[in-house]
Amino acid sequence: MAKNFLKTSRLDQFLETLRLFGELHAPTISESGVHGFAPLDDPADLNLDYRRTQIPPKKYLLPFREEILQCAGGKYREGNSGAGDMVLFGVHSCDLEGIAYLDRVFLSDPVDPGYSARRARLTLVGISCVPDDYCFCPEEMTSTACDLFLGASAEGFHLSCYSTRGRALLAAAEHLLEEGAPLPAATCSGPCFPPQDPDLRFSDHPLWQKFASTCVSCGACSVCCPTCYCFDVREYPGLAGGGTRIREWDNCLFATHGEVAGANFRPDRLDRLRYRFLHKYCGFTPLQGTSSCVGCGRCKAVCPVDIDLRELTVAPKRVQP
Amino acid sequence: MRPMKIAITGLTACSGCQLTLLNCEDQLPDLLARCELVYFPLAESGNTLEVKFDAAIVEGAVSTPKDLELLFQLRNASTHLVAYGTCALFGGVAAMNNRTSCRQDLLHTVFGAAEKLPESFAPAPLANYVSVDAAVTGCPPEKQEIAELVAALAAGTLPPPRSYPVCTECRSRENLCLLLEKKELCLGPVVQGGCNARCPATGIVCEGCRGPVREANVAQELELLLERGFGRDEIERRMSRFKPEWDYGQRR
Repeated sequence: MAKNFLKTSRLDQFLETLRLFGELHAPTISESGVHGFAPLDDPADLNLDYRRTQIPPKKYLLPFREEILQCAGGKYREGNSGAGDMVLFGVHSCDLEGIAYLDRVFLSDPVDPGYSARRARLTLVGISCVPDDYCFCPEEMTSTACDLFLGASAEGFHLSCYSTRGRALLAAAEHLLEEGAPLPAATCSGPCFPPQDPDLRFSDHPLWQKFASTCVSCGACSVCCPTCYCFDVREYPGLAGGGTRIREWDNCLFATHGEVAGANFRPDRLDRLRYRFLHKYCGFTPLQGTSSCVGCGRCKAVCPVDIDLRELTVAPKRVQP
Repeated sequence: MRPMKIAITGLTACSGCQLTLLNCEDQLPDLLARCELVYFPLAESGNTLEVKFDAAIVEGAVSTPKDLELLFQLRNASTHLVAYGTCALFGGVAAMNNRTSCRQDLLHTVFGAAEKLPESFAPAPLANYVSVDAAVTGCPPEKQEIAELVAALAAGTLPPPRSYPVCTECRSRENLCLLLEKKELCLGPVVQGGCNARCPATGIVCEGCRGPVREANVAQELELLLERGFGRDEIERRMSRFKPEWDYGQRR
């Protein structure tokens, strides 16, 4: 029998061991009560009993705003990815699948240099979770898109490793582990909301009009989505000459997203919502036919006007005349 | 490279925007290397308007004949006219009661029953009178944004605009949503971002000091706030604090 069981009482020691592999970040609660991944300086700040963080772990791989190029004196240099070794502990399966999707986008040819530098130094430790009303993943989903996964039980955690780094973590923590019961096989990986027919985005479902009129274009659904990765690139001249090129999260709900010189591909909010539906649930080349919805429920939880684009895939209820 | 000739001044305003520029201590040496400050009465004496400016950076609303005269002079003498700050762009705090109060009454309140009252009219944005080439919003604007603008002008261009609402940066900073979670009168969804959600980050609602974001869904924001139990008067008062004219039926 392999040593793969960690008693809850040894969790703190286990976390200390994880620190050997990089700066430890984990789910915590901010002063104002917002759940988020943050550096775990004190193990007492760990909040494993969370449903979802406001911002998914994508922030570590694709920061909200980053400098990607500096130009001065006629010379260019690429922005510093600033990546050090990092261990992200306590990530739910949906968020792990979110990162797996981003990997497909940013690590395929051509590789995104900033993303890949950070990704290479990131160790992912997943943990099982209890879904709430906003979640729409299949129950018991266990993602294998991580280095190590902790399946929680009453007395502790069953550990499964899915990479060489995961095995290294297990080896380093061996003295803390005991023999546990054999693990149930990991059940599900992949997107949780099935790919949709692209034609559905042009359906005459009455909800389209309703959503288009109520959406406030705050952009929260996309900002908080673990697989939304659209970004804007802007250049700012510097006062001392030269300039800086930055990359910042963009958002398909904004007027500027589809704007080109002299025109806009998506002139109104309805067009933008249809486009969001297409990208999220139908996928673009080369990910055409791939849904990127991992079922975390953030879009629904953060929307000020309760928009849930998935409702568009269900035939409208017949209204009795 | 010839330094840009610049005018920086204010109309009806508190000078806070100009002070923000003066507070950019780190950038001032570079700024002075790129610009010749020909006309900047707040910061130096010996100003002259008898030249052609590459750019005039103007704060404040237009509310007196003198404002108007200076504005026309600067417009005629400058290649670029920059509306600097919320008052210059939207009327700002001075204009908040434009829709509800009569100018004559206001003058009597301030100057009493004096026979000769100063000439004054409802404060209005620069663009109501002249064409405006560039804008920096905010009350006061972010230091970074004015530095960006001057740098861009010096490079012969304009900085790319930010056109997302306050919510975008607010959510990205992992703040508590004051509108959803605390049901407060927050204007984040309809207000221009770029401030890095300065106020909500400290638990204070967005009061809209940067003016409306592009294509704001004003009608839905109004509905949201009414649903949360705020009165129409209270909402309109809050919204007109920095910009008197909102189209409350606007959905795009």
